[in-house]
Amino acid sequence: MNKVAIVGMDGVFPHCKDIQEFEEKIFSNRSLIRNWDLVASYDKKIRTKVAGYATPEETGFRKFSNGLPEEYPMDLEDMNGLIPNANLATSDLGSAWAMKASLGAIKEAGWTKSEVESEHTGVVIGTGAGGQEVTRKIWNLFFDHQKKTRALGSSNVPRSMVYRDAANVSCLIKNKGVCEAIGSACATGLGSIGYAYRLIAFGLQDRMIAGGTEGTALESLIGFDAMQVLSTKFSPETSSRPYDVNRNGFVCSFGCGIVALENYDQAKARGANILGVIDGYFNNSDGDGNMFAPSYDGQERLWKGLSNQTHLHPDVVKAHGTSTITGDALELFSIVGQLGNKGYHVSAPKSQFGHMLGAVGAVEVIVSLLMMKKQMVSPCLNSDTLKSEQEFFQTKDNWQGPKDPLAAYRDLLPQLALAKPIDQIVCLNYGFGGTNSAMAISKA
Amino acid sequence: MTREEILKGLIEILENTPQVDSKKLKNVTEKTDFLTDLEVPSTELINVIAKAENKFDVEFDDDDIDDLGSSVSGTIDLIEAALNNQ
Repeated sequence: MNKVAIVGMDGVFPHCKDIQEFEEKIFSNRSLIRNWDLVASYDKKIRTKVAGYATPEETGFRKFSNGLPEEYPMDLEDMNGLIPNANLATSDLGSAWAMKASLGAIKEAGWTKSEVESEHTGVVIGTGAGGQEVTRKIWNLFFDHQKKTRALGSSNVPRSMVYRDAANVSCLIKNKGVCEAIGSACATGLGSIGYAYRLIAFGLQDRMIAGGTEGTALESLIGFDAMQVLSTKFSPETSSRPYDVNRNGFVCSFGCGIVALENYDQAKARGANILGVIDGYFNNSDGDGNMFAPSYDGQERLWKGLSNQTHLHPDVVKAHGTSTITGDALELFSIVGQLGNKGYHVSAPKSQFGHMLGAVGAVEVIVSLLMMKKQMVSPCLNSDTLKSEQEFFQTKDNWQGPKDPLAAYRDLLPQLALAKPIDQIVCLNYGFGGTNSAMAISKA
Repeated sequence: MTREEILKGLIEILENTPQVDSKKLKNVTEKTDFLTDLEVPSTELINVIAKAENKFDVEFDDDDIDDLGSSVSGTIDLIEAALNNQ
């Protein structure tokens, strides 16, 4: 197995214009969550009021009507002029972000043009949603407004196909290796990086652009709102509150995270600035037939699988920690069940920026790399009060995990950014369908 | 509507098409070819025709579009005929 280095990273983050502002806000304990006017315009039809999103001024991408009917999928303009119009013509918003972030990650990696365009360079980028913003509009034109297919425009397929983000990035950077998408719901971002890691570790590729992206789309938010799993009744900055006793759902969010991976020996030989090393990656399924509920057994097997690959000695566990009622509690118990109740801290970045769905696993790898760079644990905002009674599932006869209530683990959850030596971080993400992913990364 | 007015409308569509180099639009005439002179991508040419239907409020037959080719004059012929048939 080849050792794998992370040599570049970039992204699009809520309420930030670039990764520098993101870093500054994360470690100064800021919330990136805001009220969303578009949601408010639907009044009581949508339960939640808050979201994590970036404006056109922040991202640099503007939508505009292109001369077909108003409902037609819009064209995109890159106000910074980084992405050529020919590439924007085939991309949706999430793909455009992926292209921008890929260029940023490649720039930081310092790869030459011939290295990027090599057969040994691949792209694996996924997303949680299926391009609904584009498909909703073209379907409306065809089915409701009875338009001919040519009125729908000629780029709807590349703008909405499952692997549109990987395809658009590959067409931009002209790599000649693998180009694929991994889809595993909210584990997509980490799963994509994990798959890319394996391609290098197994010697199939030398360099990979990998991550996840989730373009701003009300179409994505309303599905979760219908499930009544989104946070309500809190102010924007207190709405995402993993582990807190009053949490009542996650905050839907949008963004993009892309990392550049490289065969460690090659990166070292060319003198690359190595941001981190991937020690191991493991993923599995709960296998209990439940689409939504987390599984202690599944997460226990996840940890065992990861520990079989590498020596685990995490200083930080970057939790999935979405601010949902059962998910948070079970996850913290499964962490404690593996690592005990001291010697590490739990970071919950979604407390600051919400849940970027298919992008979030990759964005949280970026947060983890920033934690190692700054030697600071990012905070678990709003985890004000932890429940002092057992969870209902802890009282069942077949419960295998810790018996203490969440309040017993207060010291694991820093409410403000915390400086400490950090050598290794374990990143955790899970998704609908009972999919679980775990990656250990460490300092170079 | 005159052929000159139709040509002007087509140029307006092209001006709103980011993939087309605006510098190439200064000397568009009926003799211009969308693909060879203006380098409009073939996938985008489909959109130009659809936008023309929208802009001039006409509907072309599929067979006529299949036979259209890529000349500006042929496109103006098509629009003119569609307008006259209304």
